[in-house]
Amino acid sequence: MISFGLALLGGYALALPAQSRIRVTPMGQGTASVSRMSPSPLRDAVTEARLVQPIVMLDVAYGDRLGATISLNAEGFTMPGGQLTAGGWGEGFVDRRHPHTYVHEMMFSARDILGTADGTARLAVAAGKGFAAFGTDDPMSRPMLMYPVNHHLSQILERAVAIAQLAVGPVAAEASVFNGDEPSAPGDWPLLRSDDGNWRFGDSWAVRLSGRPVQPLEVQASYADVHSPEHRPGAGGEARKASASARWRDAPAWGERYAMVEWARTSELDGFFVFHSVLGEAMVRRGRIGVAYRFERTERPEEERLADPFRSRRPHLENAILGISRWTLHTIRAEYDATDPAGGHRLAPFIEITTGRVAEVSGGVFDVGATYGSNRAGTISVGVVLGWRSRHHRMGRYGVLAPNHGGMSPHQGH
Amino acid sequence: MSLRFPGWLVLASVLAACSSTPTNPGPEPLTYTLAIVAGQGQFGLPAAALAVDLKVRVLLNGTAPAANRTVTWAVATGGGSIQPASATTDAAGEATARWTLGAPTGQQTVTVNSPGVANQLVFTATSQTTPAVNPTLVATVPIPANYGIHDTFVRDGLAFVMAWNNGIRIYDVGNGISGGSPASPQLVSSLVTNVNGVPGGPQAHNAWWFHNPVTQQKRYLFVGQEGPANIGSTSSGDIHIVDVSNLASPVEVGFIRVGGAGAHNFWMDEARQVLYAAFYNGGVAAIDVSGTLSGDMSNRITARVQPGGGSTYVWGVMQLGNTLYASDMLSGFWALDAVTLATKGGGFNVDERFTSDLWTVTNWAYSGTWGTRSGTRGNAIKIWSLATTGVPTSSGQIIVDNVGTISDVAVTADGKALVATAENLASPGLLVYDRVNPASPSLRGRVIVPEGLHTGELAVINGRSYVFAARNPGGAGPALVIYDITGVVP
Repeated sequence: MISFGLALLGGYALALPAQSRIRVTPMGQGTASVSRMSPSPLRDAVTEARLVQPIVMLDVAYGDRLGATISLNAEGFTMPGGQLTAGGWGEGFVDRRHPHTYVHEMMFSARDILGTADGTARLAVAAGKGFAAFGTDDPMSRPMLMYPVNHHLSQILERAVAIAQLAVGPVAAEASVFNGDEPSAPGDWPLLRSDDGNWRFGDSWAVRLSGRPVQPLEVQASYADVHSPEHRPGAGGEARKASASARWRDAPAWGERYAMVEWARTSELDGFFVFHSVLGEAMVRRGRIGVAYRFERTERPEEERLADPFRSRRPHLENAILGISRWTLHTIRAEYDATDPAGGHRLAPFIEITTGRVAEVSGGVFDVGATYGSNRAGTISVGVVLGWRSRHHRMGRYGVLAPNHGGMSPHQGH
Repeated sequence: MSLRFPGWLVLASVLAACSSTPTNPGPEPLTYTLAIVAGQGQFGLPAAALAVDLKVRVLLNGTAPAANRTVTWAVATGGGSIQPASATTDAAGEATARWTLGAPTGQQTVTVNSPGVANQLVFTATSQTTPAVNPTLVATVPIPANYGIHDTFVRDGLAFVMAWNNGIRIYDVGNGISGGSPASPQLVSSLVTNVNGVPGGPQAHNAWWFHNPVTQQKRYLFVGQEGPANIGSTSSGDIHIVDVSNLASPVEVGFIRVGGAGAHNFWMDEARQVLYAAFYNGGVAAIDVSGTLSGDMSNRITARVQPGGGSTYVWGVMQLGNTLYASDMLSGFWALDAVTLATKGGGFNVDERFTSDLWTVTNWAYSGTWGTRSGTRGNAIKIWSLATTGVPTSSGQIIVDNVGTISDVAVTADGKALVATAENLASPGLLVYDRVNPASPSLRGRVIVPEGLHTGELAVINGRSYVFAARNPGGAGPALVIYDITGVVP
């Protein structure tokens, strides 16, 4: 008998009858924080309190082969105006990270669908709303609170996506098709077909090759062709994206170690605009104390801002930008994990500081000094991570890559 | 040490932190300012209430609406009354009052103050014995949201709509070939112009239908393609030549390219068979368009200049006599020799804002402003007096409240009205000024279009004056919106 209520109220994910083939792993998490950005597009410092990344996740496995990954995100309620983020941009927000859609992921997967017919290889398919097979982990499942500037260069998410996967030994190859349009509001669903009758689902594709040359090192390289990501009806151009990364995460007896380096490049409109990113981050946790550091150098487009200087025009009116800026940022974080291992709840107060510089790199009329009154960038945040049950799963890893479905990726999350 | 945190404490912490109200720690000053939202510059009958109530907004630190702030209104000149004399701002930080003009004719004013607010606002209105007439919307033609509509060229009762990646759409708006009128435009034909290898698609932006007085032909339509651009630095896009001999079946026959630059607005000296084109960072080009046009006609460019040198990003051009005027986003308003394109005067005369569109008329010129430059919005219409030599001299400006860009300016054929379109902020749309005093046009009519109007093309059809305006994407969606402005300026 299936009883979700029993699962939610009972022990760690597995309070179903022993003979049940269904395993349900729920979790919830949110981060209450106060952030101060200085300087800001208002010139002066801005301070805000927000509940960010409030999310409920369900990993559901049926037997050994079928699974579902569901992530519900309430940022549309708790931070509809976005989160102050140095260098943040995308989906019509500038210097703020946009709220995600309410249904962040709803992916269904079938793993090793040929069983032993393909020998030791594993063939899988996944479909639903979620991440395309491209790039690195969602920043929500990584150590820092503040999203990196490269979020829209390094991940493709909240799309209607179909993924085929083939894993042989430690290597997995993925191919995915999806709709190119990114969301424009928390309530948006992927646009399957535009008003003029053209299909948006399937107008974009991505491939990713990942592997584990040695445990626990994971490397990936991926490429995507995304049609008109910032113009929902489809009038925008192509964004060709490339990503490569190496990731290490293990848990020795004394704690936990994590490191990741990535490179990303997005070329828009046949190379008329090109944006680069390099990022490295690391986290060490010993006992209850965790410290993390991130370096990032990322370029972003500068667009005309609206009456609200944290917003830019959507939908676009033409293929013009005001310039390209380069953000060189250092972020440090210290966290105390006050969780009671027996309590089921997670509570981890933290402080996180981002500092760095902004530069103009491509001409154009964008003026860093006129916009911010300074070429410096910085935020400071204090808050507490509030969790229920396990940590985040690694978003965007489905089928043969899903940790709860016997895949190759362990849990993650700050 | 082991800590236990009950669930209710976690929940309470979440709720406590969930407030969306910005916090302002002690050292940060609280600064309140007043801004006009609606009602500025109206015309009304003596001793009668204005059509639009006055509305202001109180802002905290420049952006956040400030609720529960007291706003006081007082008639300063002209007599009349305003109700209420005092009001409290609502959740949007706004307060409203109704202004009944005094008996005298002429300009009257109301002042607005708020305790603790440094700035004072002044509303002006004009009392006149003839009723005010606002532009009347007579037709709305939806355009596919393939970015939408950017500009329209109207001539001989035909409207050539530039519909971006949907190319050009030709409407009968009074020509008669398809029974159309301004109130009921009828689609005659359409053509998706070539991409020509420019990233982003056809991107049809602007046009000019060439009536050749030498050959008597009305054969060619020049179409500007606005490709990707890094504004102020780079641009792309060609001029496409479309044969419209058969209006029901237009055919693209050629193109003109300036390497490393993109086409923007046009003007023509039709008698000399010269097409003038703004090419953004490529400056201004004069192009010989006589004879038959076919294929790559880039070698027909007879002259090209970058008037601002390294600070060149030309938006538009317009000829008046033997002078060609150019509006440069970076370096301001220029006068060039219409034949050689040599500089006659002007330039580096609009430093605080980016310059947008222009219009010239005997002895006067007007130019718009765009975007935000060093924190200053493009909310000004610049006024230029023109010497007999053609050289422009700054003669003041009109500041338009609550807009971020003056996207287009034009003067009606009878010279009586200055028409502007505006984008961004709270009150974009259509503005109509009288030119009783060309150095100081007075606002006679205004229509707020929340999506903003990208351009406005003037035309007289069957004795009535119309504005063919391009409504931006967003909100109600992109559309050709046609306003009758007959009588707005008596």
